[in-house]
Amino acid sequence: MVPPSPDADRLSTTAAAFLDPALDRTAIAPDVDEDATPAEMRSWYRTMRLTRTFEQKLASLYRQGQIVGAVYLGTGQEAIATGVVGLLRRDDYFSTVARNLSGWFHRGVEPKHVFARWFGKDIPPSHGRELGLFLADLPNFGIAPYHNGSMASWIPSGAGFALAFKLRRQPRVYVAFTGDGATSPGDFYEGLNFAAIHRLPLVVVVESNGFAYSTPATSQMPVRNVADRAPAFDIPAEIAFGNDIFEVRRAARRALQHAREGKGPYMVEFKTFRRRGHGEHDDQGYVPADLRAFWERRDPITLFHDYLTGAGVVPAEALDDIDRACHNLVEQAVDEARAFPDPSPDSVTQRLFA
Amino acid sequence: MAVATYLDAISQALREEMRRDPNVILLGEDIGAFGGAFKVTRGFLEEFGPERVIDTPISESGFVGAACGAAIEGFRPVVEFQFADFIACAFDQIVNFAAKAYYRWGTPVPVVFRGPSGGGFRGGPFHSQNPEAWFTHVPGLKVVAPSTPYEAKGLLKAAVRDNNPVVYFEHKHLYRRIREDLPDDDFVVEIGKANVKRAGADLTIVTYGAMVHESLEVAERLARDGAEVEVVDLRTLCPLDTETFLASVRKTSRALVVYEAHLTGGFGGEIAAIIADQAFDALDAPVRRVAALDVPIPFSPTLEDAMLPSAASIHRAAIDVLEY
Repeated sequence: MVPPSPDADRLSTTAAAFLDPALDRTAIAPDVDEDATPAEMRSWYRTMRLTRTFEQKLASLYRQGQIVGAVYLGTGQEAIATGVVGLLRRDDYFSTVARNLSGWFHRGVEPKHVFARWFGKDIPPSHGRELGLFLADLPNFGIAPYHNGSMASWIPSGAGFALAFKLRRQPRVYVAFTGDGATSPGDFYEGLNFAAIHRLPLVVVVESNGFAYSTPATSQMPVRNVADRAPAFDIPAEIAFGNDIFEVRRAARRALQHAREGKGPYMVEFKTFRRRGHGEHDDQGYVPADLRAFWERRDPITLFHDYLTGAGVVPAEALDDIDRACHNLVEQAVDEARAFPDPSPDSVTQRLFA
Repeated sequence: MAVATYLDAISQALREEMRRDPNVILLGEDIGAFGGAFKVTRGFLEEFGPERVIDTPISESGFVGAACGAAIEGFRPVVEFQFADFIACAFDQIVNFAAKAYYRWGTPVPVVFRGPSGGGFRGGPFHSQNPEAWFTHVPGLKVVAPSTPYEAKGLLKAAVRDNNPVVYFEHKHLYRRIREDLPDDDFVVEIGKANVKRAGADLTIVTYGAMVHESLEVAERLARDGAEVEVVDLRTLCPLDTETFLASVRKTSRALVVYEAHLTGGFGGEIAAIIADQAFDALDAPVRRVAALDVPIPFSPTLEDAMLPSAASIHRAAIDVLEY
């Protein structure tokens, strides 16, 4: 942990490159269109806190060697998937990867099942065949199967799901969560191009966290913002501050409405920051100290906590209770996850063909 | 019964499947008003409309990914690559998404990839390849390579009805060259079954695709010289019917593997390995392979003819194995 320097807000060149000062804020509040009840807001807080607590536990288990392979966290990006998924209808689909664990939890995925995946346990739908970060469960959660860690690769398949919705005249939307680095591969263009031509209900949520693994956005793209790429598809795009859950919802509401009304794809770029490495094996030595400090003062959970308590929406004690409940749930989930059976070695050749 | 070319058979299969199942949709470049580069889908736009016959932008990875998404959502997309060579542009979506989704999550991806493949018509390096071995190496894909109109039609109908991704290589040099009477009824050819195209006791040729015809020509010629060659047409490469060709080799004791793709790493090497492994004690001669040379497929007729397998090169190799 790097202590904030006195002039931490005067950012290095790399840092200043990806957050326009006009988007920046250190306090958040809902706008007049926000109709969420205090109970709903509590549920967002719970999702974000559960995600953070889960990920801290996951990292701890990984460092203890109790989880093999590699683990990937979305620390600092929790507001985005919480805000977007909270606006989806039950029959909408979305695809995510590790940075969007909050979206899985907000959709109802149970922490014990996510831990069990990380432990390689024999539970549906993957039965130990896939890492915990590759969660797809279409029938139960509308979380669509996609490709792999190359986050551009599910823009084309997202366009395909959206094509299916359109051909069936269903008012459904497909949301593809992706990242700034994923807007460089060809699949990003091929998928959005196809979707734009056919005016498909595809919403692309770009979590612009400034680094693709270790490579800064300035070395990934010649434009300052991913949204600057949208004119190539003649689709609307907007840029918003991804650590403000109210702003996330404002932007996502517009995007979803646009897509649902048959007007075609919509891109939302959320500026945010991944406060852990690409995976837990990555110490983020490439991140300037001032940048890290800057974003630590804009933690999405803290910003939301301060709004809820400051505005008197939820008492601080009630949030403390949520924090404790999340802690207990996560500890219990680890125990429950361990109790699932390991897959039988004999199963390795099974279920190859449908 | 009515006579149909190999190309007619593919068109008939698609049209009949589209009439049978409204979930069958087509995606590909220039398949609509133009009817496809080889006219497989001529008239389809008029019959089925632009929502089911979708002209795509030139972006193979994009429309393959889209086809996979639509397939998971209940459609049965058939993707046409203008040439099988262009499937390289969509390799990642096929091998890392379509092929693995069922193993990873239990999600079927019922999509067919049609690749007009093969050389012999002066197409040059990017319009002549036989890339089946790129896909036979990938668990989760079915790979078929029909040799006749009957099999082209029956295997394509089976592929459309299959719940898995099927890579379907149609040899474009057969399109208008091979014709036969096809039954009027709705038939399929089961994926995963080889077929003995010609019976014989002295030598087994294991082959598929266009080389079936070259091999049959060689068998006729050798018959006139007194050697009876059995020609096994694999028809499906994955999943592979090993029993049919192993039974044949156990009977003839001699095996020649013929394929039009490049020799090294080609699927015929796998056939030779299986024979060596499982029928070694039946063999009276080493297993030989006839395949294309390990160079890109050149344009100039003298060069292309020098690198592709032919009836002449198959004949020479067959004599070698017979006389060993």
